[in-house]
Amino acid sequence: MANRIQKSVPLMMILPGLALAVAIIGYPIFDLAWTSLQDVSRFGKLTGFNGGENYAEVFGDPLFWESLWRTGIWTLAVVLGTLAISMPVAMILNDDFYGRGLARVIIMLPWAISLTMTAVVWRWALNGRAGLLNATLMNAGIIDQPIEWLATASTAFVVEILVGILVSIPFTTTILLGGLSSMPQDAYEAAVVDGASGWHQFRYITLPLMKPFINIAIVLNVIYVFNSLPIIWVMTEGGPANGTDILVTYLYKLAFRFGQLGKASAISLIMFFVLLAFTMLYVALVSRNDRDDAAPEEEV
Amino acid sequence: MTSKTTRSILYWAILSPLMVVILFPFGVMFVTAVRPRAELFTYPPTWGFSEFRWENFSEMWVKTNFGGALLNSLYVSISATVVALVLSIPAAYAMSRYRFAGKGAYRTFLLMTQMMSPIVLVLGLFRLMMALGLVNDLNSLVLTYAAFNMAFTIWMLQSYFNSIPRDLEEAAWMDGASHLTSLVRIFLPLAVPAMVVTAIFTFINSWNEFVLALTMMRSSEDFTLPVQIYAQVAGRYQVEWHHVMAATVLATVPVAIVFSWLQRYLIRGMALGAVK
Repeated sequence: MANRIQKSVPLMMILPGLALAVAIIGYPIFDLAWTSLQDVSRFGKLTGFNGGENYAEVFGDPLFWESLWRTGIWTLAVVLGTLAISMPVAMILNDDFYGRGLARVIIMLPWAISLTMTAVVWRWALNGRAGLLNATLMNAGIIDQPIEWLATASTAFVVEILVGILVSIPFTTTILLGGLSSMPQDAYEAAVVDGASGWHQFRYITLPLMKPFINIAIVLNVIYVFNSLPIIWVMTEGGPANGTDILVTYLYKLAFRFGQLGKASAISLIMFFVLLAFTMLYVALVSRNDRDDAAPEEEV
Repeated sequence: MTSKTTRSILYWAILSPLMVVILFPFGVMFVTAVRPRAELFTYPPTWGFSEFRWENFSEMWVKTNFGGALLNSLYVSISATVVALVLSIPAAYAMSRYRFAGKGAYRTFLLMTQMMSPIVLVLGLFRLMMALGLVNDLNSLVLTYAAFNMAFTIWMLQSYFNSIPRDLEEAAWMDGASHLTSLVRIFLPLAVPAMVVTAIFTFINSWNEFVLALTMMRSSEDFTLPVQIYAQVAGRYQVEWHHVMAATVLATVPVAIVFSWLQRYLIRGMALGAVK
């Protein structure tokens, strides 16, 4: 009896939080799955099953495919761009130099500001008439006419990708720094003794040892970037003319502007499965690094 | 010149273009917030302006109902933090101190919920809140923010709890203290710093959240700060940019300072709950 109470103690401690998570995160998934199979009125009333018609509608919609394609470009460009910049930045910040503390604070700054606010400020900075980016470029003599950055979809999308990269750098750099700081120094010393050049050290020591951290940075960034709404929504709302829509902005419009709830829930569910696939990849990566969960973790 | 000096110059030179781009929006924000309204749309566009107008801030406060949105944001963020912590502390303690059936599955569940993004579920959540009668009710945000932050808070707390030596509690049991006494008298006081850091991050996450607040809050007096500021910009012909930037400064700078100061602790919980 006492033993049984003893055994249920940890479960009792976990249960309240678990209940909230299941209600708020679990239930909507089932509701979306259920809704996506039915006809839905503008006001959210379910009016009977329609045998996958919502999905057929989604797959027959050119805007869906365009948004999907753009989501792919957005995710790939932001994730790879971020990694390409964060790797050298992390290596510099891992080395000892004057003013390193200050450099770290500045590099980490974009993380401290919410995406919404960053996007609002950039929307103003990129203003076609009076934006201060135009002011700066004109002062520097790079352009002589103000540019309407957000008025054409192709420029707007490139700018949004660059802002996406900028705000992803701090988090990625932090993960990579975590990896670099745990690098064994003796490997480098041995390499120096053997006469390895800087590039060779990077290519044959740093990169292989950093691989688990790079993998995790990539997977986490894919997860965060692929369903990030605020930057695109605040800067262009997917416009002009749906030209910067990615799946999340398109989904949001369908659900809350056009009242096409059946279609919107079908897209939600498709996105959920993509997210699930990447999350499972992440769980697999993480559990490879961490087999024995009973052992107390070491200090980070 | 020593090699450290050379290296420092080289590194700062490499980092400087990135730093300029990072600091650029902050410059834009401050310069616009204090500029007279008439100088917003000068041509050609310029960084310079004639006078510092600090009154922009007080005007903005009244005109944009900044105070109301501030109170909404405070209410939501503080309540969500309290709910998340009250539910996470026992769960993190159980994860740190007990072995139990289903622990592995629970870990996986936490990782899954941590990665789940509100936007994918937003329509389902909206329908759920409709059914519960919580649309236009700030408590809908309290519940959702608490739920979405809980995986993070549990990781974070667990990793700190693991670093509190078990021996201290065991010694107390030897001396005849009950588990509950040792928990309250010995463990919890040691865990206070961990809880404070975790609470601050949960607060900041809730403070910054946009999508759910935009969706659940339909009338302007219920807006939280990010939605309130967004509403000053979106779908308007005449945007009062000096007010918008003044509001952005007030809404972000205090939080950004706290975040920058505590940022080094974040690594323990965020994503790296399991990466060592």
